[in-house]
Amino acid sequence: MVTDAGFLPRADLDRLIGLLREGGRTVIGPTLDDGALVYAEIGSADDLPTGWTDDAAPGRYRLVRDGSERTFGLGPPPQGLKRYTFPSRAPLAVAERTADGAVSFTAAIPDPPRLAFLGVRPCEVAAMLVQDRVLAGGPFVDEDYRARRQASLVVAVACTRSGSTCFCASMGTGPEVTAGHDLAMTELDDGFVVSAGSRAGEQLLARLALPAITPDQHAAATAAVAGARAAQGRQVVTTGLRDRLMDQLDHPRWAEVAERCLACANCTMVCPTCFCTSTTLDSDLDGAATRMERRWDSCFTGDFARVAGGNFRPRRQDRYRQWLTHKFATWVDQFDSFGCVGCGRCITWCPVGIDVREELAAIAPPYEELPMAAPVVAGSTSAYSTAVVRSVAPETADTSTLALVPSDDALLAARPGQFVMVEQPGFPALPISVSRVADGALWLTIRAAGPATTAAIALRPGAQLGLRGPLGRGWDIQRAVGRDVVIVAGGIGLAPVRPIIDTVLRDREKFRHVILAYGARTPADRLYVSEMADWADRGMVVTEIVDRAGPDWLGRVGVVTHLLDQRDWHDRPATAFVVGPERMMEATVATLAERGVPRERIFVSLERHMQCGIGLCGHCQMGPFFVCRDGPCFAMSELGDLFGREGI
Amino acid sequence: MISDRPRVGVVKLASCDGCQLTLLDLEDQLLPIVGRFDLIEFPEATSLRSAGPYDVLLVEGAVSTPEQAEEIVQLRARSRLLVSIGACATAGGIQALRNWTDEPDWRATVYPEAEWIESLATATPVSEHVSVDAELRGCPIAPGQLLELLTALRIGRRPQLPAESVCLACKRRGNECVLVARGIPCLGPVTVAGCGALCPTFGRGCYACFGPREEANVSALHDWLAADRSTEEVDRLFAGFTAWSPPFREPAARAVAVAETHHPRKDEPDA
Amino acid sequence: MHEVEAAPEAVTEVGDVTRFAVKQLTRVEGEGRLDLAVRDGVVTQAHLEIFEAPRYFERIVVGRTPDEVIDIVARICGICPVAYQMSAVHAFEDLFGVAVDPQIRALRRLFYCGEWIESHALHVYLLHAPDFLGYPSAIELAADHGPVVERGLRLKKVGNDLVSLLGGRPIHPVSVRVGGFSRAPRRAELEPMRARLADALLEARETVRWVAGLEPPPYDRVPRLVSLVHPTEYPMNDGRIRSSDGIDVAPSAWTEAFEEQQVPWSNALQARARDGVPYLLGPTARVVLGGSTLHPEAAAALAETGLGDELQTNVFRSIVARGVELVHAIAEAIDIIDAYRRPSEPKVAWEARPGVAAWATEAPRGLLFHRYEVNEAGLVSRAQIVPPTSQNQRAIEHDLATFAPSVLELPHEEATHRLEQLIRSYDPCISCATHFLELKVDEG
Repeated sequence: MVTDAGFLPRADLDRLIGLLREGGRTVIGPTLDDGALVYAEIGSADDLPTGWTDDAAPGRYRLVRDGSERTFGLGPPPQGLKRYTFPSRAPLAVAERTADGAVSFTAAIPDPPRLAFLGVRPCEVAAMLVQDRVLAGGPFVDEDYRARRQASLVVAVACTRSGSTCFCASMGTGPEVTAGHDLAMTELDDGFVVSAGSRAGEQLLARLALPAITPDQHAAATAAVAGARAAQGRQVVTTGLRDRLMDQLDHPRWAEVAERCLACANCTMVCPTCFCTSTTLDSDLDGAATRMERRWDSCFTGDFARVAGGNFRPRRQDRYRQWLTHKFATWVDQFDSFGCVGCGRCITWCPVGIDVREELAAIAPPYEELPMAAPVVAGSTSAYSTAVVRSVAPETADTSTLALVPSDDALLAARPGQFVMVEQPGFPALPISVSRVADGALWLTIRAAGPATTAAIALRPGAQLGLRGPLGRGWDIQRAVGRDVVIVAGGIGLAPVRPIIDTVLRDREKFRHVILAYGARTPADRLYVSEMADWADRGMVVTEIVDRAGPDWLGRVGVVTHLLDQRDWHDRPATAFVVGPERMMEATVATLAERGVPRERIFVSLERHMQCGIGLCGHCQMGPFFVCRDGPCFAMSELGDLFGREGI
Repeated sequence: MISDRPRVGVVKLASCDGCQLTLLDLEDQLLPIVGRFDLIEFPEATSLRSAGPYDVLLVEGAVSTPEQAEEIVQLRARSRLLVSIGACATAGGIQALRNWTDEPDWRATVYPEAEWIESLATATPVSEHVSVDAELRGCPIAPGQLLELLTALRIGRRPQLPAESVCLACKRRGNECVLVARGIPCLGPVTVAGCGALCPTFGRGCYACFGPREEANVSALHDWLAADRSTEEVDRLFAGFTAWSPPFREPAARAVAVAETHHPRKDEPDA
Repeated sequence: MHEVEAAPEAVTEVGDVTRFAVKQLTRVEGEGRLDLAVRDGVVTQAHLEIFEAPRYFERIVVGRTPDEVIDIVARICGICPVAYQMSAVHAFEDLFGVAVDPQIRALRRLFYCGEWIESHALHVYLLHAPDFLGYPSAIELAADHGPVVERGLRLKKVGNDLVSLLGGRPIHPVSVRVGGFSRAPRRAELEPMRARLADALLEARETVRWVAGLEPPPYDRVPRLVSLVHPTEYPMNDGRIRSSDGIDVAPSAWTEAFEEQQVPWSNALQARARDGVPYLLGPTARVVLGGSTLHPEAAAALAETGLGDELQTNVFRSIVARGVELVHAIAEAIDIIDAYRRPSEPKVAWEARPGVAAWATEAPRGLLFHRYEVNEAGLVSRAQIVPPTSQNQRAIEHDLATFAPSVLELPHEEATHRLEQLIRSYDPCISCATHFLELKVDEG
């Protein structure tokens, strides 16, 4: 809201503090206490740490007097505002037992102080929003937390400097202030650009009656924050991080980091989002009254996962894994965000300097980006464009591949696994998987299974038809990078996986073993026979099997799962892509699971009755999914036991 | 609950008396406690004596003389619950440093007529001699933990004794880490909580008087500290009041060996 | 049933020798026993045997840094750890030429006051008073005199809390460092304590009145008294070591006037004046020798008792001296808090120098002397620690022998009890006395 921003001269900072203090509100801000930076009461701007900055590194932190005029030159304090919104110790209830055995419980009634948090870093604001979801986002609510949050104002300050342990830019929480504040400030040499982020903030801003900022001030503020962002670079790649991490529960690095980790719990204690607690009991000598208190606890402590029979996480490596996977993976499942805001405290304040950024990179390295265009999905039922048939190549007696040159280049951005709706005037629309994009043409392999498909493969070069697309969610080939790749296809099912083969063979060195297991009814029903030798030459193990052999078939006979007996992949973590008749896919998925391929990395492409292709007509529903929009490619872990169930 | 009025004994072995004094230091609770517990043996506080049997016996001090080694066995036999209290009783205490040395030589340093002194070569925790039902750590023990023990005995619940590091208590108090921010060596990460993080609160490093916590990663902390200072200096940190605790023994033993070199030797004894 | 006062473990008469023995002295710090023999109405043997296990502190501190030594020597005694820290820190600072901030010097006295308060309150109310009133312990005393014991516990708590305020905990506090403290409190942190001390001062005055009314056994002798004496400060951290009969040496020069010696009839080291005359340390010695520096509140409390002279001659009156010092420590603590300004730094930088570090301060029980040899590496190579109890032991045994004939006519049990009470009058701290093992006096 740059247009509404005002400029607060540095000398007027006390005016803002005075406004915040109205009505008995206590202002809490960064201040130096015995040489330590803490959030504590601020009486006036003199209490703020003007002229100081910090030098933070893994396991090392020093305050540095830099002689500048900056009021907010320091990064996040050693401990965050959690101390005020979620105190380390808070009364829960008093349990009483009278002499006659009657028991009563009296819950503590929240009595939150009215606070205004001044000089709050963006990561800190983001952390409060994370804790809001955890502790006040329902269905159950921590009443004390909610009351404290409701009784507080937040005056945030954008960061114009990044410390060496900061990685808010990676986590999307800074260095600018984007949400969760009442007022946001950006510090310039002579004052602050101030804008409102809430109704309360607007009222404060109005009462401050600040002059509008000048274009120069706007530019300076923008540049300063951009500088802080640029200084960070991209330190944690969050793309696919949840899945990458959960794929690595058995990584040897967990044991290695546990050799260094003290399991001292400092990381969780200084983390502004960690919310785990334990209840401690304070009883009188007769047990007549017991005060129950909630205290910060940590998944690193020895008692945290202990039950009568033992400890579920007895080793340091168990505890480190629990912490890291919660912050960066399972938190996403629970609360729709990461549990990390990139404040860097867990790095700075780790007594032995363990750097979560390094651990993430080692345990769950970012997928190597495959050179693929961004997905494009056509947005409506009427987004038709035309295409001209360039060629029609017969594959089998009833199947041909059409090369179509679309009038709209957007169709050429179709990603592996996506499909198009083929519109022939007078015929129902056909959902057809793209079997290749090459030479400016979209390749569709179509089997004559009814009038519309028969008409389609009867088209001659130069003929025209209509297309909508590309549609649907394609294959997540990124998940196969660095792993063995097992592609299993039955019959026409080879068409939707051929783009995988093309992609993998184009960047063959990014994958380990690559295996194709292809099954067809007869030798004559096999697709793309002429390409298979080339595939093998380029590093793919091509295996085939048929239901019924002809006189000149020297290969194997049987079902496709027989091919999965091959021993050259399944002792390593593999990713599998499976397309074919549903029964064949069921059998294949079962076999792959037996071979140890996790369901998160078994992908299938489903066929359903589709008309609109964008989740509006309702035909393709399967449980919670519209197969056309949410699929057609799914991980087995998403489908759960819907897959293979009859009548769904 | 053991009985309506548990019979409690408080005795000492080799120690400074500080842990049993902690019972007297529960000033506000002392009279309520003696109203609910029968202090049948507590020589430091009362002239009434009893040889037991005890429902609960609190034992302070390390086993360091032949007499104590016999006494603790007898005390165990007369006690339903035996609780060792303090660093001496749970880890041998500071005097356990002699366990790595030539004890007669130490004796001779202090006593000219060393042969008249009855002493074992080692000072060891009670648990190395008899089974122990519970331990209160610390040099001295924490008054709150002692009160919790007594309360839990009355109620019949397990006493709440933390298994966490000092760091949790330190951060709950809002302290800045003295190790990270000031470079002061601190054993808090490997030390079990209970003291309330006193030392960091007072601007110095924890010296592990409550002893190692479970899963204490001593070698990792040692390596990290030794990157900025000499190994000897780091070793000495562990040669304190709980040095004989197994996780601390390796660096403590090295520290004692080095310390011995600073003692001016008398003439070599006769062969 | 245990609810009987423990009888002497052995009262035997063999021929014409009567023995009084207490297998374990109670209501004293540490483990000791009494063995006294009388023949023909004459004490032939007065043994205060100490079976406290040896812990070799003089050797434990070898190879350690001065700051480590401060932590270690505190463990000699759970009742007076501050005293050990004070003697050690002063010794090192004297050798290293460290000048601490005047506010830090004052804080150290405040710290020491806390220990005096808790130690004296403990001894007066919980250990000693039951003797005068005929109770086996303060527990039984509380049943009949609840408010009195509660007052004692409140006083003790103030002392403990004062030590905790400056050092984190009452037993083995953590803040004393060479050069100052690891942390100095803010003024505001001391304010609530000042208010409590003001209340405690009234209770301490009441204590003096109470203990002055406790009837002691008759006893009359004039011992040599020894304490620090300072022109303006009550004996505590500074001054000169003086005796009531002319000894006058610097606090670092204890060894000029005193020595640790082995006597042929004892297998223990004894501290003694070089002239061999037994001497008495502790509250009585300080009140007499340092009387001119008593806080006006304490001087008034003493004057009110009218016992100024009897203090010197009847060791059972030491409880009054302890009460007077309770008043002094509280009153001085209040003055220190009132004048306190937080220093900019809690401690000054220092460098170790090789040499001999020696100093004596006044533990609650009397003069505590430390001597350390510091080597080129800045580590201690030799140590000598002379606690007050090992200096008082000759006076104790002397008094046992002198006093015993006056109780011979009493029933054995009561006589033995009186002898125990005499020992308790010294507030002996047996754990402290690391290097005296078995004290024997044979007056025969």
